[in-house]
Amino acid sequence: MGFTLSAGEFLQLVNINPATIVFTLINTAIIIALYFFFLHKPVMKIMEERKNKINSEMQAAEDAQAEAEAVKAEYTEKLKESKEEAAQIVSAAVKRAGERENQIIAEAQQEAANLKKKAEESIELEKKKAINEIKDQISDIVIMASEKVCEKEISKSDNEALINKFIAEVGNE
Amino acid sequence: MLTETTLMAGEFTVEGPLRSIPLPFLEGILGEENACIAESVVTQWVVMVILGVVFFILGRNLKLKPETKRQAAAEWIVSFFVGNVETSMGTYYKKRYAPYIGALFCFCILSCLMGLFGLRNPTADVSVTGTWALITFVLVLWTKIRTGGFKGYLHSFIEPLPFMLPFNIIGDFANPISQAMRLFGNNLSGMVIGGLVYFALGSFAIAVPAVLSLYFDLFSAVIQSYIFCTLTMSYVAMADMSE
Repeated sequence: MGFTLSAGEFLQLVNINPATIVFTLINTAIIIALYFFFLHKPVMKIMEERKNKINSEMQAAEDAQAEAEAVKAEYTEKLKESKEEAAQIVSAAVKRAGERENQIIAEAQQEAANLKKKAEESIELEKKKAINEIKDQISDIVIMASEKVCEKEISKSDNEALINKFIAEVGNE
Repeated sequence: MLTETTLMAGEFTVEGPLRSIPLPFLEGILGEENACIAESVVTQWVVMVILGVVFFILGRNLKLKPETKRQAAAEWIVSFFVGNVETSMGTYYKKRYAPYIGALFCFCILSCLMGLFGLRNPTADVSVTGTWALITFVLVLWTKIRTGGFKGYLHSFIEPLPFMLPFNIIGDFANPISQAMRLFGNNLSGMVIGGLVYFALGSFAIAVPAVLSLYFDLFSAVIQSYIFCTLTMSYVAMADMSE
């Protein structure tokens, strides 16, 4: 039992066969074609398509977000404006109401003052009227009293003193 | 088909590439020895059929939204080669070399694995590995001329110093030859050692050859195929003079 390898056998091991080379070249070319058309190309195509789709979708998402943010900013601005406007309206209304209040109070005071003045005038008038009336009545009474006194005997001086005294008393009332 | 080892009254012999189909009409050109379709070519046809079916099944019916594991596998395989080519060679070569490297790797690895099925590895035939190295050589030559022009290519032989000329010439041929011999030697040695173990164990050849086969046919196949493709990529990338 032994293992021998002669020079001829060794050369046979590393024999280069042109036919094998040609066949291997052809086979390799066919394998490359099979690999390229069956596997490489479709897979690369689908991956490229996916990449493009993802890119476009991400772009669309970014656009949508930017748009949403713009709209949001716009609405915030509008809201702020509305609030300011509302505040203005309220403050204007408050101001107007205050003015009206003052005006009403002033008018009321004016009216009260007028009423008071009128009342005082009429009181004064009534007073004068009353005094005049009383004076008239007193005159009548005096005349009547004089007549009664005249019926009795009375001196001229007594009469005069009496009348003056009387008038002075009435004037003091 | 014959096996690579022949048991003859205690003799162990290793035969070269086996002849499967003789082609008598080529005898005048190639000589009696080579006028044939070698077994390694027939095994390649088997590999081609298998790969064709696998590629076809993997690559059909792809969806934008992957639904099947089949598509995930297909995308993983293609991305693996594209990524590897891009890493070792750069973006310019990514599109151009990824299909070649992918096809070469699949072809190479499945050729090596054919040993598991009792067929002779096509990669244990120096004509096959030599052909692939020849392709590398042509690609390197083309890349040098493409990037540096013909003048630049000739000038590259006397760089960095003129006395480097012989070494540069040797280097141009040594790279693909070593590449071919590495793949060939690994597969042939695996085959020879497997045959020797079968021969030595005789009728007790159970379990032990399986472990060896696991290493030589499976592990070595993957590693050597990967190395072969990586070397092809780096030789071409190194030949790029455009920087």
